[in-house]
Amino acid sequence: MTATRDLVVEMSALSKWYGQHHVLRDVTLGLARGEKIVLCGPSGSGKSTLIRCINGLEPFHQGDLVVSGTHLDGTPASLAAVRRTAGMVFQSFNLFPHLSVLENLTLGAIYAKGEPERDAIARAHSLLARVQLTSQAQKYPGQLSGGQRQRVAIARALMLEPEVMLFDEPTSALDPEMVHEVLDVMEELARGGQSMIVVTHEMGFARKVADLVVFMDQGEIVEAAPPEQFFQAPSTARAKAFLGQISHAT
Amino acid sequence: MSAAPRSFAHPSAVAPRRPPAAVRGMRAFLRTHLFQSPLAGLFTFLLGAVLSVALWHILRWSILDAVWYAPDKGAACRVATGACWAVIAEKYRVILFGAYPYEQQWRGGVIIAGWLAWGALSATSLLPVWGRLAGWAGVFVLSILLLGGGLFGLMPVGTDLWGGLPLTFIIFGGTVAGGLPLAILLAVGRRSELPVVRWLCILTIEGVRGVPLLALLFFAALILPLFLPPNLTVDKLIRAEIGMIIFFAAYAAEVVRGGLQAVPEGQDEAAKALGLGYGARMVKVVLPQALAIVVPALFNDIIRAFKNTTFFSILGLFDVLGATKAALQDPNWVRYGTEGYIFVFLLYFILCSAMSAYGASIERGNQSRVRRAA
Repeated sequence: MTATRDLVVEMSALSKWYGQHHVLRDVTLGLARGEKIVLCGPSGSGKSTLIRCINGLEPFHQGDLVVSGTHLDGTPASLAAVRRTAGMVFQSFNLFPHLSVLENLTLGAIYAKGEPERDAIARAHSLLARVQLTSQAQKYPGQLSGGQRQRVAIARALMLEPEVMLFDEPTSALDPEMVHEVLDVMEELARGGQSMIVVTHEMGFARKVADLVVFMDQGEIVEAAPPEQFFQAPSTARAKAFLGQISHAT
Repeated sequence: MSAAPRSFAHPSAVAPRRPPAAVRGMRAFLRTHLFQSPLAGLFTFLLGAVLSVALWHILRWSILDAVWYAPDKGAACRVATGACWAVIAEKYRVILFGAYPYEQQWRGGVIIAGWLAWGALSATSLLPVWGRLAGWAGVFVLSILLLGGGLFGLMPVGTDLWGGLPLTFIIFGGTVAGGLPLAILLAVGRRSELPVVRWLCILTIEGVRGVPLLALLFFAALILPLFLPPNLTVDKLIRAEIGMIIFFAAYAAEVVRGGLQAVPEGQDEAAKALGLGYGARMVKVVLPQALAIVVPALFNDIIRAFKNTTFFSILGLFDVLGATKAALQDPNWVRYGTEGYIFVFLLYFILCSAMSAYGASIERGNQSRVRRAA
């Protein structure tokens, strides 16, 4: 069944606890190749934890997770294999402040993949052009604006040539005037057929880009539907309440 | 609609201009720093007066009434009211080179010149960091070879005769060169997820920190040989040096650990997400940032290591201070100990200040380059 649907991420009955607290409750979802899932929900609903499980930054306790054919079972080999094919973009950028923009991009390629430095630099330059930061290669992250930093972080994740891109609230730490430049880059990526899972509160982005909107609350998936259906006719009371709260904010 | 608000704001539309004279210049400085109130003005005046009197006495004793040259075993010094700097001219060879054979002391001179020259070169940015470090390694090894002799027709000189500033430099260099890498290993090991590694590191750090340096040096130099097999003889200097290295490492390890904790968790996570293994994450991402953060505290330890070399004199190894003490035993000059110690004090002061200035320059370099990219 996996082969016919060509899933990049396949998660079944995933559970995780923080102490006694059941933070992910039997979460089951699949991301088909080339499609985009937007995860939304109130803070504390487990969406960040979920996305961090996918590339092994958080361990989980029960259930199954297969990322581009690799069964993530917590062994170093499976972690390494998954991290080679999943690119991650964090809310707080997490760029390496002591390295130039170019070095931020090439570090993983050179030291994790063993790619020749010259090839890595060439690829980095073309990715910087793609996120419209051609002239910033020699600068340090501290010299860039928030929006530029996040675009560097996206380019850094793309250096992996990932089968899936994971975005963990990529615009939440940005000043409002910089949000659109990051969303533009993400939309461009989506149009190029990149499979991705995005945790975000940007409902405009979800409407435009998502194939599936997944609404989480208290560690469980409450509702999953295509954007038109989810935004126009949410079927659960919790989703309705959530949409009511965030529409007031925008 | 409500009535027009009573609060208001006017657009300003003014080009930027210089601040008013009251916030810059000499008068502003005097007013804000020295005379901002009558009481502050009074204190400024009183402290200024005390300082002036003290400076006048120091000037008179150390320069105006001082004796710079006193042949005939310091005869001129005995009638002078000022300082007797002639003692330095008389004893500087012993102070700088200790008990090292007199005709061979040029070797020590070469070593001192080499360290100062490379120190000055390292303070500039003419060479890349690896070049500076490689140079230091070379200077260190050459110093030991030159002082020990036995090569290229140089007379061998046992470590028991090594002394003065060259010995101070070598003890210090060895402490930092061996101690810093060990400190990093201990700090990283203390944060390891492997319990045996972690507990070994904690035991070493806490054990060593719980013991005075003096006790550690006594143990290494005097007690340790009793436990070693009789056919295994390790030079006293090396044994004491190992004690110094471990002592330095235990303290510096805690400093480095502080730096490791100050690096945000997200840095390691981002490196993990790029698929980097533990070693690459440490060497390329976490440690460079951690060490940059702790440069000021590390230089504190490094400068202390320089001053701790003085402990070697209790083991019969005469560093600069020990050599000075020995030099001032001479009955003709024994009463001019103050001058001798002031000389050594200035020597330490200049070398330590240079080190702290160097540390500050590294810190500035880090700050200008690495601004936090939250």
